[in-house]
This record gives sequence, structure tokens and C-alpha cells, in this order.
Amino acid sequence: MKVCRRDFLKLAGVATAGAAFGGLGIDLSPTAAQAQLLKTRWAKETTTVCCYCSVGCGLIVHTAKDGSGRAINIEGDPDHPINEGSLCAKGASLWQLAENDKRVMTPLYRAPYTDKWEPISWDYAIYSIAKRIKQTRDESFQKTNAKGQVVNRTEAMASVGSAALDNEECWLYQTFLRALGLVYIEHQARI
Amino acid sequence: MGKSFFIDLTRCTACRGCQVACKQWKKLPATETQNWGSHQNPVDLNFVTYKLVRFNELEDKGGLQWLFFPDQCRHCVEPPCKMMADSYDERAVIKDELTGAVIYTQFTKAIEGMTGEELCPYNIPRMDEKSGVWSKCDMCYDRVHNGLMPACVQSCPTGAMNFGDREEMIELANKRLEEAKKRYPEAALGNVDDVRVFFLFQKKPDLYHKWAVAEAGIPSAPLTRRSLLAGLGAPFRRA
Repeated sequence: MKVCRRDFLKLAGVATAGAAFGGLGIDLSPTAAQAQLLKTRWAKETTTVCCYCSVGCGLIVHTAKDGSGRAINIEGDPDHPINEGSLCAKGASLWQLAENDKRVMTPLYRAPYTDKWEPISWDYAIYSIAKRIKQTRDESFQKTNAKGQVVNRTEAMASVGSAALDNEECWLYQTFLRALGLVYIEHQARI
Repeated sequence: MGKSFFIDLTRCTACRGCQVACKQWKKLPATETQNWGSHQNPVDLNFVTYKLVRFNELEDKGGLQWLFFPDQCRHCVEPPCKMMADSYDERAVIKDELTGAVIYTQFTKAIEGMTGEELCPYNIPRMDEKSGVWSKCDMCYDRVHNGLMPACVQSCPTGAMNFGDREEMIELANKRLEEAKKRYPEAALGNVDDVRVFFLFQKKPDLYHKWAVAEAGIPSAPLTRRSLLAGLGAPFRRA
């Protein structure tokens, strides 16, 4: 880009002073569109890394200091060496990962032969999944292969995902999967 | 002098980061999308969608071309929509002297019996059916006044979207045009003298979008309401 960020900020700083003290001209006074303070002006800024793909773009999360204390804006971090402030459509929508009225708050279960999803408790969901993993693993576990070599594996289960896990979570997750004996382990970042 | 955008379409990959960043900053609600055979979604701009990447497929000698067009308000130097809106209510459309941003206020409610096509040579503004208020991109003038890039420009990962002082953007546009012409002989800039959002097209502008450029240009003298009502949306429309 022609205008580097620092030059731009310098110029815009002059502009801000003009806006704050010079007024914006008579046209603006009766409207709602007067010079505005940024809604992020008094927000707390925290840096983070995008959870989606393996590019690892940096972001700034603006959190309200008063009231809800919730995230009010998330945008690219111009000082981050990877993305220099830019984001793709998924990264730009990151705010909705935290603040979304369409978020599903409980696990959903669809019984065989129905087309309806029913909310269930976390306890029930985790218990049911654990039960099924144990049953499948017990049924399919191979101690040795055809040559008699020790393999301690199950080929009846696979793991795909999850894009929203970070590096450390992925390490824990794959450790757990390998302890179960899974060999089919794949992650979004490689796909 | 104010600010300007330079949008280099030879660099746009249609990731739609700009479209989402606009919604995110302004906290605009989602519009229900539909499968209509294109990634262009929502299908058109609307009251809560100020930025839209348009997709167009074209077959020519070079095979299939996929043209991307991040559409938005052009922030005209002499905005025709303001000339027209002034005849209804002078507070409806205002111009920010500092940046040159053309800003719609709630008083756009006074504009009656007009279509986006009649108000704007680029067919940008959209009305809310319930309230009768019109809206469109406001150049993120709140961000610009506070030293930040507009949300769409900041999010652009490829350098297609550029923003800065008008002179520098014109200079950058002309430089990029020279470079682009080597690869795309038809490359052209759209309406640089008239607007604050100018595109570098690698193909003829009308292949991107019907209203990509204003063919008749923008009238230099303000129009009277009477002449407008006499069917004078027409010179803005493309034949």
C-alpha cells in the first residue's frame, strides 16, 4: 500500500483534532451524524490469534469496561506480523463466535429414525459418548497385526477436526486419541 | 481534498473479508442468504448490507473469467443523491467536510417515491420498507476521524482495497493502471474525477456490474427537483 500505516495515522491525527475542535460545518449540527467518538474508545484491548485456519492471523478484541464486560468488537491487529490488520471473511466474523444469539447452548441429540433434534444435558451427552467409545473400542481393539507385531490400535474410529482448537488443545486431544489407540487422526489445519 | 478509496480489482480474490468486516464493525444484522447459483450473497445490497462482493462469470478467448466486484457507495465528489435529497430535506444527506464522506441520516425518511437507481448513478442506496429511511456506506467516518482505516480496507488481505488522502490514491491508481495494462490491455480506471471510490478494472466495467461506472458521468450543476421529477433519473441510467 502506498500510504503506510504510520503516515496514515499521522495525517488522521491532524484530522481528528480538526473534527474535535473545529466542528464539521453547519450542515451537521442538526443531525445524528456528528463526529463520533469510537465505540471502542474506552474499551479494554486484548490481542488474540484467530482460531480458524493455520495462517494464524492476529486480532484485537475490544471488551467493554463497563456494563456487560463482553466483547464489543474484534478486528485485525495492524501490528501483527502475519496479517498486518487484514482478515478473511471467517476471521472478520470472529466476534460472533463469542457473541451470538444463535449459539447452541446445550448438546443436541437426534435419535435414530427421527428428524428432530432434542436438547440434552452435558452429563448425559458425555456419558453416552463415553459409553459408545468404550463399546466400539472393546469390539474392534487389535493387540497385534497379522504378522504378530504389537499394534494396540482400533481402526473403527476416526477423528476429524476441530478447527476451533488451538495448538495446546490439539496436543491434549491427540494425546487422548492415541491413548485410545486411534490411528485415523486428522485436523482442519491440514485440510 | 479529503479521502479516497482505490480498489484494485486485479488483486481481489472475493474472500469477502470486506463485506463481513463492514457488518462486524457496524453490528448490522445478517440477511438471509439463498442458493441461487452464485457465491454472491446476499443477492443484492440492502438496508443492512452496505458492502457486497458481486460475482460475474464470463467466457472469452482466455477461457472462463471470474470477475469480482466489491460494490459500495462511491462517495461522489458532487453527490447527485444529495442534490436530490436536498429538495426533500436538507438534513437527509450530508457531506463530511473533512473526509468527503457522503452520509445518510434518519431524515432520508423524507425522500419519497424514489428508487435507488433514480437516486444514485451507481444504484447504491437502499430503503428500509418499514421506516422509509435510506442507508448506505458512510466511509466508516467515525473510524477515519479517529485515525483508523475503514473496516473494509483494514480487513483486505490482498491489498485490493486502499484508502488514504485523495491525491495519493489517484497517484497510486495511475501507477497500478500502468502496471496492469501490461497484463490486461483493457484495464481502465472508473470515474476517478467524479468519485472517491475508484476501481481498477481489468475488463470492461459493464462486465462486472451494470452500475459499475456511471456512463453519463455526474452532472456538474445541481439539478432542480422539477427537472428530476421530469423523468431525469434517466441520464444516470445506462442505456
